[in-house]
Amino acid sequence: MAKQSLIGLFEKADSAADAMDGFNNGGYELGSFDVLTGTPYPEGAFGEHVPQHRLFRFPAFGAIVGFTLAVFLTAGTQIAYPLVTGGKPILSIFAMLIIMYEMTMLAGVIATVVGIIFESRLPNLAPGVYDKRITEGLIGVVVTVDNDSKVKDAQKILEKAGAIEVKHS
Amino acid sequence: MSKTDTNTHNKGHHLPPKNVPFNEITKDLIATTVTGSKKIKQISILLSILSIIGIIALIVKYFADHDDSTKWGYVAALISFLLSVGGGAPMVGIAPVLAKANWVRPVTRISAIFSLTGVSTLILIIPLMMMLPPLMVDGVRRRSIWFEGPIYSPHVWDYVALMGLVLTGLALFYSAALPDFAAMREHSSGWRKNLGKTLSRGWIGTDSQWRTLRMRIGMFGTFYFLILIFVNFLFATDFAMSMVPGWRDAIFPMYHAITSLQGGVAIVVASLWIIRKYFKLEKYIHVDQFWSLSRLLFALTLLWIYFFYSAFIVFWYGRSANDIAWIELLITGPMMWVFLTGAFFIWIAPWWWLIWNKVRRSVNGPIIGAILILIGLFLDRLRLFVTAWSVPTESIHEKYLKIIPELVLPNYLDILIIIGGISLAFLPVLLISRVIPVLSIWEVQQFNLLAKPIKYMKTHGVLVAKPD
Repeated sequence: MAKQSLIGLFEKADSAADAMDGFNNGGYELGSFDVLTGTPYPEGAFGEHVPQHRLFRFPAFGAIVGFTLAVFLTAGTQIAYPLVTGGKPILSIFAMLIIMYEMTMLAGVIATVVGIIFESRLPNLAPGVYDKRITEGLIGVVVTVDNDSKVKDAQKILEKAGAIEVKHS
Repeated sequence: MSKTDTNTHNKGHHLPPKNVPFNEITKDLIATTVTGSKKIKQISILLSILSIIGIIALIVKYFADHDDSTKWGYVAALISFLLSVGGGAPMVGIAPVLAKANWVRPVTRISAIFSLTGVSTLILIIPLMMMLPPLMVDGVRRRSIWFEGPIYSPHVWDYVALMGLVLTGLALFYSAALPDFAAMREHSSGWRKNLGKTLSRGWIGTDSQWRTLRMRIGMFGTFYFLILIFVNFLFATDFAMSMVPGWRDAIFPMYHAITSLQGGVAIVVASLWIIRKYFKLEKYIHVDQFWSLSRLLFALTLLWIYFFYSAFIVFWYGRSANDIAWIELLITGPMMWVFLTGAFFIWIAPWWWLIWNKVRRSVNGPIIGAILILIGLFLDRLRLFVTAWSVPTESIHEKYLKIIPELVLPNYLDILIIIGGISLAFLPVLLISRVIPVLSIWEVQQFNLLAKPIKYMKTHGVLVAKPD
């Protein structure tokens, strides 16, 4: 059987959290069920699995690359054309700071944009089962299963938790 | 959980705002994208015409005055004004969010929208960049932050930095707008629906999407602040200080940045007042937002005099030849009346207006202070940049200014450029209100989710959750 998704729609956040508990206790694989909301609820409000993310690595990596390039650019040009000005050393850090700061920031921003594309899983080309009432305040608990008995079990968990409607993909 | 007592209504104070159901929020805010379409279309056409006239005037001015930088002070002042106001506004939605303030949630969208004004700044600054003298003319190098760098360093790096600011602002705006594009995809029709579908990139509101949204708002917000202060520093030093021989002032770049924040808060207050009234959003924009913003505005107004005086006292007490020249050029010289009027509008009048609790704690009071500040900021920018650019190119390499230039009055091209430039900046702000709600749907929903009006002993208050 092909994978099938179900979504249970809840009016109350507590009921959606009960459904998430049901899937957790029912031995469903982490990552096979998720909660969809129209507004961000506090992290862990539904008892959902909080996966590790790598988003902070992207700006840090970009900033390091930008800073390194800036050091090469400013130091390289000053060494290539050595002009002593006002008795200051050829490699004067204060004269290099502006370009170093600017390139660090820019590379950090660009890397953050790239990182977000990876980490947000956007564009989401196959969003799966969805209901537009989620943007009106309903909470969706979506689960993906790969056999018939699991479909019935998942439906039961959703209904038991108080879903006002269960939709199949 | 923290308890915020915002009400003692039996003493004449306001009641806490009631929570609005989620579906009503979505419906009301999406409706704003079609509200008053005809009138907005008319205003957009007018702004477009003025923008085109302004750009034509700028091109004509370039060909007419490309050999005389002293006539470009009004263009420099306009760009400084737009950079200050449009660049400072997004900070209103960044700083309080980082400090987990709940009141700011209905304000974040309108403040982020002002990052769109950066596009017009990027266009308008091109001819001004071409007019900015290179660091070395006739073998003589003027004092600048670029030391012995290539002579076109300010031209290249200032533009790159400005692009970085605009890119970060747009990334911040778009990141925070993704969930609302998804709402447009589900609840609007026609081209708005199609655009929402394209721009929402398949957003469905999974836990992972919300987590990354929170993080990217935090990261872009931090980057935006770091780049904004840097761009203010570059613009203030390269387009004002380095144009005047002997103007050495460590405080001026910060003065430019702090007045940018002041102008940013002022434009957000003014916009909030207009959209509340025009789109009938009284349910979502409460007195709390105006109250909190006007406190910020008041604090920034007091900072104006702190920064101005800190710089002024050094020159006044120094009494060296270049100190005297600085005072004569920027304070008592050709634009003394502009300085005095500007100081009245940006400091004295809003100070004595916003000092009153009753004014701050109202919807209609802060807008008056905001308008006064915007007028004052524009006059202050005229005073600074017109006088700085009035120094002839052949004098900017000298040790200090020996002859104070005459007052440069605007000609008809300058006036058209100023009107057109301001129109060009505000046109995308107006147009975007047709594409996406001017208040963020998900942030207003979150505002309601985390704040509940409660009865607290013998009064009322708002219980605010801060779980993150």
